Amino acid sequence: MKARKLPLIYPTAGFAGLLFVLGAMWYAASSQNNTAVYLLLFALTAVFLVSIPHTLVNLAGVTATLESVQPAFVGQEVSLPLEIMNDSRATRHGIELALSGSDKERQRIDYIPAHKAARITLRFPARERGEHRVETLRLTSAYPLGFIRFVKEVSSSQTYIVYPKPAGDVRLPSSFVDKGDGRPVTELGEGDDFAGTRGYIHGESQRHIDWRAVARGQPLMTKQFTAEAEGVVYLDFSALHFVDVEERLSQLALWLIEAERARRPYGLRLPGAEIPPAVGQSHFHQCMRALSLFQVKKQEVRA
Amino acid sequence: MSESKRDRSIPRRPLLWLAAALLFTVPPMIGSLASWVPGVFLLGLAMKFWMEPRGYRLRLTALKLVLAVVALFAILASYGSLKGVAPPISLLVVLMSLKILEAHTAREFQVMVLMGWVLCLCGFFLSQDFVIALSIMAAFALLVVALVQFYRGSSPGAFWPPLAATCKILVQAVPLIVLLFVLFPRINTGLRFDFRAAGSLSTGFSDHLYPGSVAALATSSDVAFRAEFPGSTVAPPGSMYWRGAVMWHCEGMEWRAPYVPVPISGLARELPKGNQVRQRITLAPHGARWMFALDRPFEIPSGAILARGNYLWSVQTIRKARRYEVASSVGIGGKELTPGERREALEVPPSISPAVRELAKSWATQDSNPRAIVNSALQFFGTQGFHYSLTPGEYGKNGLEQFLFHRRVGFCEHYAAGFATLMRLAGIPARVVVGYLGGEYNELGHFVLVRQADAHAWCEVWLPETGWTRLDPTTAVAPGRATLDLISFLERGNASAQMEARRSAFVTRLARSALFTDIRLAWQTLSYEWDSRILAYDADVQDVMLDSIGLANRGPFVLIVEILIVAIALLVIYFGWMQLRTRSAADRVKTLYERFCRKAARLGARRDPWEGPSDFSTRAALLLPNESERIRQISNTYIALRYAPESAGAALDTFAKEVRAFGAYR
Repeated sequence: MKARKLPLIYPTAGFAGLLFVLGAMWYAASSQNNTAVYLLLFALTAVFLVSIPHTLVNLAGVTATLESVQPAFVGQEVSLPLEIMNDSRATRHGIELALSGSDKERQRIDYIPAHKAARITLRFPARERGEHRVETLRLTSAYPLGFIRFVKEVSSSQTYIVYPKPAGDVRLPSSFVDKGDGRPVTELGEGDDFAGTRGYIHGESQRHIDWRAVARGQPLMTKQFTAEAEGVVYLDFSALHFVDVEERLSQLALWLIEAERARRPYGLRLPGAEIPPAVGQSHFHQCMRALSLFQVKKQEVRA
Repeated sequence: MSESKRDRSIPRRPLLWLAAALLFTVPPMIGSLASWVPGVFLLGLAMKFWMEPRGYRLRLTALKLVLAVVALFAILASYGSLKGVAPPISLLVVLMSLKILEAHTAREFQVMVLMGWVLCLCGFFLSQDFVIALSIMAAFALLVVALVQFYRGSSPGAFWPPLAATCKILVQAVPLIVLLFVLFPRINTGLRFDFRAAGSLSTGFSDHLYPGSVAALATSSDVAFRAEFPGSTVAPPGSMYWRGAVMWHCEGMEWRAPYVPVPISGLARELPKGNQVRQRITLAPHGARWMFALDRPFEIPSGAILARGNYLWSVQTIRKARRYEVASSVGIGGKELTPGERREALEVPPSISPAVRELAKSWATQDSNPRAIVNSALQFFGTQGFHYSLTPGEYGKNGLEQFLFHRRVGFCEHYAAGFATLMRLAGIPARVVVGYLGGEYNELGHFVLVRQADAHAWCEVWLPETGWTRLDPTTAVAPGRATLDLISFLERGNASAQMEARRSAFVTRLARSALFTDIRLAWQTLSYEWDSRILAYDADVQDVMLDSIGLANRGPFVLIVEILIVAIALLVIYFGWMQLRTRSAADRVKTLYERFCRKAARLGARRDPWEGPSDFSTRAALLLPNESERIRQISNTYIALRYAPESAGAALDTFAKEVRAFGAYR
């Protein structure tokens, strides 16, 4: 990640208070010719001034590295896992991290010892499907007095993908495109027969999570039920009759999850693109990616 | 390395530091606060420590308002009004207590620290004594520690690390403080506000001498002034009579100085004769216009006049420590007494009783020589069983007669007033002088410390041969008083019963022990330095100072810009120094290697951006055969430092040396 050369200086809210107190001291000192108050005024001014290089040096040698970002669905949170490295020979205190867009979502690291790193995850809501560039990250330091803060902006060329929100109430189509063996294909995933468990996929319904396994400390697993044998299903954009593109994409995203959960081979047909049927994580993400980037203009990749 | 949500509650550790700081802000104000306010303040602090871990706090706006209004009324009830300086300060302290109970966010913590600094300001407003200054300085530093600790969050170490960080900041701030203090222009805004209640600060004696007025000061250990003697490290020999004011108006046992003294015109001034003593005096603020000098001053410091009667009188009320130089002469050449002055110096009120008049007349008829009359009077005081006492009791309406014929017990003001009145009745012009007598000589600081307890009153009579002549009737009653300070005198004599009752024997013995005396003298010296070097550094002294270092005659804004430039330079130096001290070894290796490459380029071997260090070393060695050995050495060290798993500090230093040596001579 690239850092801009010089950190920028900003006053904090406390700075206004400090100015007020300094003003009051100056007024009192000059109107009463009170040397002791002058001394107090100068001491406070000097301490504040000296805190400026201390705050600046607190950011020296501190770098942020963004690790790979997992895709997220619209309406969920995107997590940015970050490693904050302190390359200097001194402990750095009170480093705050925020994305330049949202100052509220601020994370604080109380201290990083010399030559050590701290890990932190910044979360923000995923609003729009598509591929987005990670926004500029702001490394902030207000230590030691908090009257001013220095902000080091770190930009990254890394991107993350936001999948469309899985939604809709059309049932997963039955397999009308069978492979010619004439076997009837029945509804999947909603049957009564327990067919084992598999890893939980982000975004799918939590109804079938094996909570007992979670309680035993195992990772999230989804229980699978099948009613009948499986068959290949084609999820077709043009087969849906909604007017809204986003609605269609949401429905397709839900179907993808359901089909993947049912371990039923599925293919995806979008106008101008087709992904042949398959099953499995990489196939799932490939399809989702295609949905996310569908008809997204290049400009929407935020710079 | 933990994340914490800081907007929920204030952590305990910074709160402890803040509490410690606030405890130091209150004592300097205690004298002016309403008696219940410090209690409320301590209660608020204690409550906070009880409430904070439990998540309780003052939340309801209505309750806060009610409490604030209650506080306002309580203060109104205690003082009767909100005027003056004490009630607003009390109110501020109570509101601070409420704020403590309410605060819970980061911003509010900062607000509390800022309010702590405002309390420091209030402390200095009430008094600038050295003890108070120490307390306020401690509070100031502890507030910085609290803030540092707050921003350190959960970093390890609650005591030394924040303290060390603060010390570093404070030490670095010292040059800036000195710079600002010495050079920052004291712009007088002309926005004066005078909120001292009338007479609240006026300490020391008044322009009115009456029985008990000097004795009331005798137990006060407050410092009146300090005097240095430039060019001499010892106090002048003889009794030190510090002249304060001259009283002309006689009312028997009561004497008054003129409200507005008349300055002596240049022609009428008496000329010095004999030894001159130069003094540099640092006067504690007393809210009046008295200025003191050894008997008698003939040189007038700036901002003062020499009033009729040869005493100094400040043009302005003395509300802050003031430093001035004055020269005195023991003998002053006599001038003729003008008829007007003679009339004034012989005036007696008609209310004097016949018995007293008779006494004075008897001396005058016995021998008309003024000197003989004076001697008769002194003899009268010396032999007729007069006692010197701090608590002579009340004297009623016919006080003078009671004092001279019945009770015969009094303090210096009784003797001075009685003696001067008798002299006037006997036809000798007389006046009363008030001031101080003696003082404690400080061996360490070479100065004399004069306390309020040294206040004294004596007489001056006009004798044809010598002019105005000092006569101290107290010495006739209590020989030796003039050579000792009052406390020593009372301890030695029998009159000390009242004083002894106040101090236990143990404390007295302790106070007189050698070690304690040393500590006391050192303390006095420090306190003196604070008064004379810091407090006395006002706009006038600053002008002189600027003049002496050649910075005079520039506008305040030019001066401020210059100060700013120096300050910024200093801050840049601090930053560079801290940056260099904390940058990583890898950075240093890289910078050193870049320096080596620059040097090599100057010699003719330019490193291409894509060239690795070992490739460059081979090529450079070919290009610069003379330096090939050194180039190879530096490159090898660089590769070792950069890519070896563990690099030692010693290797880095040798590398730095090699790079420095490279290309230095050729």
